[in-house]
Amino acid sequence: MKPWSFLIFCSLALLHLTGCNSSPPQFSNRAEFDDLEPYAQEYVSEVLDSYFGTPTESVAWERLPIEYHFAETTVSGSPSPRKVTLDVSAGGHGSIGPGTEIHFASSNESNWITEWDAATGLATLERKPTQTIAEGEAVIVGPGAILKNGRHLYAQHCQHCHGVSGDGNGPTARYLNPLPRDYRNGRFKFTTTNYDFSPSRDDLDRVIREGIPGTYMPSFKLLKQEEMQAIVEYVRWLSMRGEIEKQLIETALADYTHEAVKLRIDGGASRGEIETEFNKRVAEGEIQESLDVVVDLMVERWKGSDLPENMVQVATNRPPATPESIARGRQLYLDVNNKCASCHGDAGFGDGPQNYAFTPGKPGPGLYDDWNNPVKPRNLHTGIYRGGRRPYDLFCRIRASVKGTPMPKFDTMKEEDVWDLVNYVYSIPYEEEVAGSGRLEEMVDSAESETEPAAAESESNEVASR
Amino acid sequence: MKWFWCLFFAFWPILGIAVCLVAPGYGWWFPGPAASPLGQRIDDLFYMILIITTLTFIGTQIGLAYVLFTGARRTDPDVQEKAWFSHGSHELEVIWSVAPAFILLFIALYQLDVWADYRVKDLFPHEKMEGLLSEGLHQKRDEHDNMHLAEVTARQFEWRIRYPGFDEDGNLLPLEREPQPTDLYDVNDLHLPASAPVMIMLKSQDVQHSFFLPELRVKQDAVPGLVIPVWFEATKKGEYALTCAELCGWGHYKMKARLVAESDEEFLEYLRELHRKQFFDGVVEAESEEDEDE
Repeated sequence: MKPWSFLIFCSLALLHLTGCNSSPPQFSNRAEFDDLEPYAQEYVSEVLDSYFGTPTESVAWERLPIEYHFAETTVSGSPSPRKVTLDVSAGGHGSIGPGTEIHFASSNESNWITEWDAATGLATLERKPTQTIAEGEAVIVGPGAILKNGRHLYAQHCQHCHGVSGDGNGPTARYLNPLPRDYRNGRFKFTTTNYDFSPSRDDLDRVIREGIPGTYMPSFKLLKQEEMQAIVEYVRWLSMRGEIEKQLIETALADYTHEAVKLRIDGGASRGEIETEFNKRVAEGEIQESLDVVVDLMVERWKGSDLPENMVQVATNRPPATPESIARGRQLYLDVNNKCASCHGDAGFGDGPQNYAFTPGKPGPGLYDDWNNPVKPRNLHTGIYRGGRRPYDLFCRIRASVKGTPMPKFDTMKEEDVWDLVNYVYSIPYEEEVAGSGRLEEMVDSAESETEPAAAESESNEVASR
Repeated sequence: MKWFWCLFFAFWPILGIAVCLVAPGYGWWFPGPAASPLGQRIDDLFYMILIITTLTFIGTQIGLAYVLFTGARRTDPDVQEKAWFSHGSHELEVIWSVAPAFILLFIALYQLDVWADYRVKDLFPHEKMEGLLSEGLHQKRDEHDNMHLAEVTARQFEWRIRYPGFDEDGNLLPLEREPQPTDLYDVNDLHLPASAPVMIMLKSQDVQHSFFLPELRVKQDAVPGLVIPVWFEATKKGEYALTCAELCGWGHYKMKARLVAESDEEFLEYLRELHRKQFFDGVVEAESEEDEDE
């Protein structure tokens, strides 16, 4: 064999053994992380590592409202030493099966299921437990399994856009407009929860299932229910991780950015003193305390997001889309106090004057979302409803806004007014566009003319007066 | 050594044919029978061509082996036999030009029927489709050319589906070309009646895609700017894969959907359920709440 062919063979074999890129995935930090002093950066990394781990070695932090395990249940009987019956009255998880880990709390030992009967909850164990299993003993079935499945599915379906850290900056993200969601603010645009709340599990599930028409988010309808649940939990986990990082940097460690430290040095303190003070505050648990407050608030908010009372409430059914309702909606749309037209434009083409207005603190003219990306108000003529086309979806968009965007919430508006607006928005794609028919005066005229028979006359007067 | 090479080259075609002969017994064969009548005819064409090519293959391999072995024998030291110089033989040239030409012409003519039934609009099974719509689905029809049951729009990277909705009396409306307020929408989940031909409108929102139902042997490119009618008939109720068969971008592999062929009643019930979901206005369990209030 010639030496060069041998060399090629060896290098191919080596490439095959090592792979092209063998480094494990890493969570990345927010841009603001770089503004911190090195010791503060170290602290942030330590906190995140201990509570969340790395993408491949995740930590299930019990304080977060996340379902990590297939089930936390109790033993209801043990017909033979290698068999246990589990309490599945709350419904067994669909993913439990041969190979699922089962963890006994009292003996702190793990075992594996070799046979599983979902109906009765009878599990055959791989080996005989060292201690006899008492009735009522707490067990965790599939400890951390949902998070683990979620990570695998996320890596397979979501990561190339939404990124390893959920920062919306995966390798394919740069080709997309609008950009993929950055979960790390805890803000998600299309939810059915009230303005101050995060998305509910159902909201995330719906977006994954139905996709977001008009964007690159495709539908993953054919995923199984368990797979969907695992992805939802993993996305929530990433979002909470991102939020804690953000809050740590922005609140708990706000005094230790390069800028803050420079100000204090200008004021007479020395760099060493500040670091010593920081270490003292960490040692005394002061920083941990402020972190705890942040975590508590966040946990409360995520927990609350799944409660029915924090969903956008609707008391009355949507009224039929009569011409009167649509006309009232149109009036509300043009109302100066509601300002719909200032972004969405008089005729609903998404071309209102705010598209050209300057806002202080923004990089340029126009509208920006919380992620500082330019956004365009929706063109209401397309018939594409990103957050879903159900009347309830549109109701929620108006009531609770499109979170993270300049779209305001109308939580004090009367319900019948919201429904009139919804009816109007539904009618826009089917409007017959006649010159001048979108103006406010025209609306008032036609609304009045419905009670007066002089409609045709007033219209012809309009035309004549022009 | 020369006999080794003769046997070596003769061995592979024999092995190939032997493997093909035993393969069906081991379940190594093409995907199961087509799930549509037209698909079965397409399969018949495929197998016919397979038989022709197999016979041609065996014939040429026998010829090759013959040339190999006689050629090898002639190189033995004591053999006086001379090679037969065949190059430029007019007769042979005519035979191996005309025979394949006839075979190809035969295939071209023989498959015309199937192609025409699948692609020529005038030959679509209009009567059966109309029967399904009017009798099976009780569609309120005042015109006779509009027989689509769904509009499938391919986009990067999913299949958006639009169905006709219901009128106030609960009758299924015809599917208009332009979206209507009553239309029903879904994604990646195409439900259609089984056991009768159905027709869809195929569109693309961005780039070229291809609507592929492998089990039904239906494959049609979706071309931006065109509305392409596609008809098919699932013989049995069940789930069939729907995929994109045209590399349409980095997320091409994500365009995995399904076709659910069901009975007429199930299909109507599915559309009604879709209607209920799509017009959900957030009032949960209105009746029971009202009862409590009273």
